[in-house]
Amino acid sequence: MKLETLKSIISKKKNKTEFAIITNLSTGESEIFEKEKPLSKELEKYSNQINEFFKSKKNGVIDGTEIFIETYIKPIKVIIVGAVHIAQYLVEFAKSLNFEISIIDPRGYFASEQRFPEMKIINKWPDEAFKQIETNENTALIALTHDPKIDDPALQHALNKKFYYVGALGSKKTHANRCERLKEAGFSSNKINSIHGPIGIKLGGRSAPEIALSIIAQLVAETYKK
Amino acid sequence: MKNSFDEKILEEAHDWVKVNQKVVLATVIQTWGSSPRPTGSRMIVNEKGDFSGSVSGGCVESAVVRESMGLLKDNKPHKKIEFKVSNESAWEVGLACGGEITVYLEQIN
Repeated sequence: MKLETLKSIISKKKNKTEFAIITNLSTGESEIFEKEKPLSKELEKYSNQINEFFKSKKNGVIDGTEIFIETYIKPIKVIIVGAVHIAQYLVEFAKSLNFEISIIDPRGYFASEQRFPEMKIINKWPDEAFKQIETNENTALIALTHDPKIDDPALQHALNKKFYYVGALGSKKTHANRCERLKEAGFSSNKINSIHGPIGIKLGGRSAPEIALSIIAQLVAETYKK
Repeated sequence: MKNSFDEKILEEAHDWVKVNQKVVLATVIQTWGSSPRPTGSRMIVNEKGDFSGSVSGGCVESAVVRESMGLLKDNKPHKKIEFKVSNESAWEVGLACGGEITVYLEQIN
């Protein structure tokens, strides 16, 4: 692989674009494939198969050829509401998993750069904060404040925008009250039941890093169910 | 869904190149049966035999390091290696899981 190609792959990954690396295994030449970019002459004849791999996000060698394709998808966007202690550990776990994280918390003393260095922190109420973030079915929400004033608007937004994962911290009782409020706000029981609450898989631990681990484990599992 | 949980091996390869190391990129390009790592898994090797990442569960990494160092020594651009249980070197580097993998080695230059 040419150093130039390696550099542009790294910058595409950084910019979070969708692309594929196509390598001719017999010549060792690699090129970057993007949806709107025309293929080189040499690869044009494989354009149907390449598009097929790209669409299904598959890696592999095209049958009967020496052409290898590796596809890169956009990272999953994870929005954490509540710049609390658990969030600090969540951010650490998420770093090694290539999630793109945003933290929302209107409380300035929580959402400080000192507590979350180099993180995207939005120091606003959820309704305002969501105006700044593009969200879709590839987005996950982790609500951690268990304060209805902060969590509820975020949960409502996530349910309306069909996030693939919505989780909310709080005891069974807190969660039951939360479900009741969402029901009153007009959400169907299907939607309400899709919330992971109490959040996380059962690990048994109660410390902040243990809860963060149980949340991240559930998030990864749900990502593969998509 | 593929590659959502990326391992940043390419970024590390770039870091190695930046400090003037010769680097071979090893990529799993095909798998059959129960292979420990999926297609697209990567590791990098330098001329000293330092390596990072993985192409199996530790079963064939030593052979990939050896082959990569050979590639750099002979200054060859790329090479394909197949690992099977039935390899004559199976007692040393075969895939105990019964799977088969093809690994593509290429120099970064």
